[in-house]
Amino acid sequence: MRPFSFTVSADTIVALSTPPGRGAIGVIRLSGKDALELTRSITLDPEFNPEPNRVFLKAIHDQRSGEVIDRALVTYFKSPHSYTGEDVVELSCHGSPPLLLSVIDSLLFFGARAADPGEFTLRALTSGHLNLTQAEAVRDLIDAQTHAAVRQAAQQLGGELSARLQPIKDSLLEIIVPLESSIEFVEDDLPADVSHDLSKKLSQLAAEINEMADTFRRGRLLKEGIRATLVGRPNVGKSSIFNGLLSADRAIVTEIPGTTRDTLSEIINIEGIPILITDTAGVRTAADKIEQLGIERTRRAISDADFIIVVLDGSQPLTAEDRMIIDEASDNFFIIALNKSDLASFHTDTALNLMVNSPIISVSAKTKDGLKDLCTAIIKPFSSAKMYEDSFVITSARHYDLLRLMGDAIDESEKLLQQKMGEELIATKLYQALQFLGEITGETTPEDVLSQIFSTFCIGK
Amino acid sequence: MRESFDEDFDVIVIGAGHAGCEAASVSARMGCETALVTLSLEMIGQMSCNPAVGGIAKGHLVRELDALGGIMGRIIDRTGIQFRLLNRSRGPAVQAPRAQADRALYRSEMRHTLEFTPNLHLRQGLVIDLIINDGRIRGVLLQDSRRLRAKAVVLAAGTFLNGLVHTGRSTYQSGRAGEPASIELAENLKKLGFPVGRLKTGTPPRLDGRTIDWETFEPQSADERPVPFSFSTENIEQPQITCFIGYTNERVHQTIRDNIQESPLYSGQIKSVGPRYCPSIEDKVVKFPSKSRHQLFLEPEGHNTSEVYLNGFSTSLPSDLQIELIHKIPGLDEAKIIRPGYAIEYDFIDPRELTPFLQTTRIQGLFFAGQINGTTGYEEAACQGFLAGLNATLYIQKRHVFSLRREEAYIGVLINDLITQGVDEPYRMFTSRAENRLMLRHDTSDYRLSPYGRHFGLLNNQQWNQFSQRRDRLARLRNILIDSRFTPSDSKYHEITDLVKRDLGDSISLASLSQFPDINLKILFEYLPSNIKQNVTFSDLETVLADLLYEGYIYSSHQINEKIKHYDDLIIPTNINYAQIDGLSNEMVERLNRARPFKFGNIRQIPGITPGSLSTLLFYLRNRLSHHV
Repeated sequence: MRPFSFTVSADTIVALSTPPGRGAIGVIRLSGKDALELTRSITLDPEFNPEPNRVFLKAIHDQRSGEVIDRALVTYFKSPHSYTGEDVVELSCHGSPPLLLSVIDSLLFFGARAADPGEFTLRALTSGHLNLTQAEAVRDLIDAQTHAAVRQAAQQLGGELSARLQPIKDSLLEIIVPLESSIEFVEDDLPADVSHDLSKKLSQLAAEINEMADTFRRGRLLKEGIRATLVGRPNVGKSSIFNGLLSADRAIVTEIPGTTRDTLSEIINIEGIPILITDTAGVRTAADKIEQLGIERTRRAISDADFIIVVLDGSQPLTAEDRMIIDEASDNFFIIALNKSDLASFHTDTALNLMVNSPIISVSAKTKDGLKDLCTAIIKPFSSAKMYEDSFVITSARHYDLLRLMGDAIDESEKLLQQKMGEELIATKLYQALQFLGEITGETTPEDVLSQIFSTFCIGK
Repeated sequence: MRESFDEDFDVIVIGAGHAGCEAASVSARMGCETALVTLSLEMIGQMSCNPAVGGIAKGHLVRELDALGGIMGRIIDRTGIQFRLLNRSRGPAVQAPRAQADRALYRSEMRHTLEFTPNLHLRQGLVIDLIINDGRIRGVLLQDSRRLRAKAVVLAAGTFLNGLVHTGRSTYQSGRAGEPASIELAENLKKLGFPVGRLKTGTPPRLDGRTIDWETFEPQSADERPVPFSFSTENIEQPQITCFIGYTNERVHQTIRDNIQESPLYSGQIKSVGPRYCPSIEDKVVKFPSKSRHQLFLEPEGHNTSEVYLNGFSTSLPSDLQIELIHKIPGLDEAKIIRPGYAIEYDFIDPRELTPFLQTTRIQGLFFAGQINGTTGYEEAACQGFLAGLNATLYIQKRHVFSLRREEAYIGVLINDLITQGVDEPYRMFTSRAENRLMLRHDTSDYRLSPYGRHFGLLNNQQWNQFSQRRDRLARLRNILIDSRFTPSDSKYHEITDLVKRDLGDSISLASLSQFPDINLKILFEYLPSNIKQNVTFSDLETVLADLLYEGYIYSSHQINEKIKHYDDLIIPTNINYAQIDGLSNEMVERLNRARPFKFGNIRQIPGITPGSLSTLLFYLRNRLSHHV
């Protein structure tokens, strides 16, 4: 037997390796045997077989819609000639935080795991790719590693997440204990009906966990900003409103339809909440090829955004195009900005014809009337009572990942129950849920479960 | 100085209980001259508590042991008088055989088996000391002054080390009721510096079956189709008997409450910890006051005796009170007690002293197995005995030592738990202790473990052929289930559609059909191609169906484990000094020192270890490696 043996890491990890926040570029790093395969998945290019250490320009697709979300510079470092010694792919994307998160989300969807703090370095060490004989470097790294770990542990041990997860752990154990007792102590005189209300309890638990996981999106909104996007047919005044909101003339505003060929993004601050506001090319069924590209981007922007501001020209009757845009936006949170309230021909009646439940704000980009109301309306859905009273949010992608997996495992156990499958299978999924939970709160050992069984039931001949 | 010895052996096994018998058998069969030293040749293979082998998780252990080439499974198959497969209505992973044994027959069959094992020598005597030189075991010293030389010693002393029996207020030194305790050996082990603790266990009264009104009790019969423990057993030959179930009542409970100060457990006389899953009747009444009755099993001790074991009524109350209590149970109003129940306290040694191969870290060539390591149960003892005997042999023969992983056997879980976690109470196996319960079915023990048994020469040609044939049969059957498909042009397709009440698509294989909850073994058997039906046994079919049922789940658990546990095989050097590692808190250092994990994966199992210390340790281990290689 060798004194040491190593397993090759089985999974592929992903993390943003540039500092969080807006920058010119954001580098997403993948490490592990599936790094290249994952890259193929998000570039929708199964044939992609790049020469190592060379840079390639690739389109990155959203995993759900399949649409292009960015064009990134992709570099492949083949094992063992990489930082971690494993296959590594680096994706240099545009630096917008929401965009980077979508790319990471897509990679998680395809099976990558959100890296633990310091895990790239850990892998580098494990594969022998960092020179640890340089004592100074060693100490620095150990310190870095330990500090990160200690911070994480402190946050988890005393932190809110653990406290929030404790009742979930208790409920899980409450379900597992009678189930396990019925398997393990068949000869004992136990209460017969162990599965009483089990289905209901499981779905409640899954809902609770999913709700908690959903705060990740909310948490991300607070941390990274709300992605609000202006859409509307050409020349309704999107860029003017964009500029009005920015209070600076950054977009080119002309009278020619379709001038804003590309999307523009800026961060504004409304009542302390960062809003990433994006101006898009006008949505118009144009034949113009260059403009077509812009329109695609707009559609993509709609599905990408947290929040849509549909801009309509209040001085003109509602067109079929307007209705189509509202239709596209209606899958998301949206409000309507009825622009050009300064013109004599402005009709608030237009609003009545819309038959939508979303707020309609009359504005004039020209006179800046109503812009304040618009700002209030933008943050309103996010500053709802629930959001602020319940300040609890999941901010780490890793925690989000684990909660989601936990919710899935409980859902699966409920499905098995519906299918009348055996207790041992239901329990397997519940233990999996407990295992994911344990990655955040610390492990639940079989001894913990057994202790609870012995204190609940009179076991033993 | 050259010391003189009366006899020379390779291996000496101390104690001929379930651990000792397996240890001696394996080392003798692997070619070591082996002495099995026992206090009484008549008590070889004695079941000191209930006369039964197996049960959930324990039955798994026995089948694993059998697959490796142990003897317990074959002996219980020849002496079992009531076979039952527990959890038959539940999933295959949690089913397991249990058998009531004829206690006397089990002993004689065990003795017979050992006496006919070449290289195995039975010796009667009381070991009072270990002979040690240069930190290495040299032999043992008997009370009658005989000195036996050995290169390795397996100590399997059971409850005999400083054994103290309690019945009411009376106590006496004893290893088992009526047998002498081992006092000097226990004291000598302490002198060697082994960390010794005390545990407690108990046993119920034995009744005279002729004085029981059997009609009052609810009969529980044996299975019609007994599932044997051993893969080489074809038929269970012993006539099968009926056991009986009864209950205690409030009158019994009230009398216990009124006299609770008489119980050494509650008077403070017994301080050590007993098993929570095997509580005394006093404990049951006190800890679960709302329970109006507790279940009792009346288990006949054998074909040729009227002795009956009152399972569920373990007690250390005074013997006159035991009679009074028994008489308050309908059907036992006239019952006579042959031997009263008792509690016994005994020494055990913290199993974290041991290597994964059950060798002590203090003395080379000394191995511990069974209750001395803090376990309870014949099955747990036998498995440890087997591994200790095997590793003692490998040690002498200078071959690679052997251990099993948690995910390949309950035996792996058992040893790993013991050496990393230690024990707070007598340790018993439960299926929930295994992370991969679905992979550890009793009926897959052979394909998990028989290749090891064969490797060590512990399975003979006949057993190996049986194994190979079963393996091939199962593979063929599996392919048939996967390949046999019904399409809408088949009349059976429509029959099946009606049966499962759902759309079957273009075609359905027998394998997918088996996954429907409404499809049972018998139905599936009917749909097998007619030309193979006569060659397929229910038991083979059960195994293949269970394989099919679980493989998806096993795969997904495996994926998850890979995700979470990718560094778990990293081995921790034995000379690691946790206190020297930067970034580990004293608390963590203490926990690690107590647990002495062998692999990085073991650290996760230590209660209270923070994720932070995990990464720190992993970091340190890699750093160390780069300096040493």
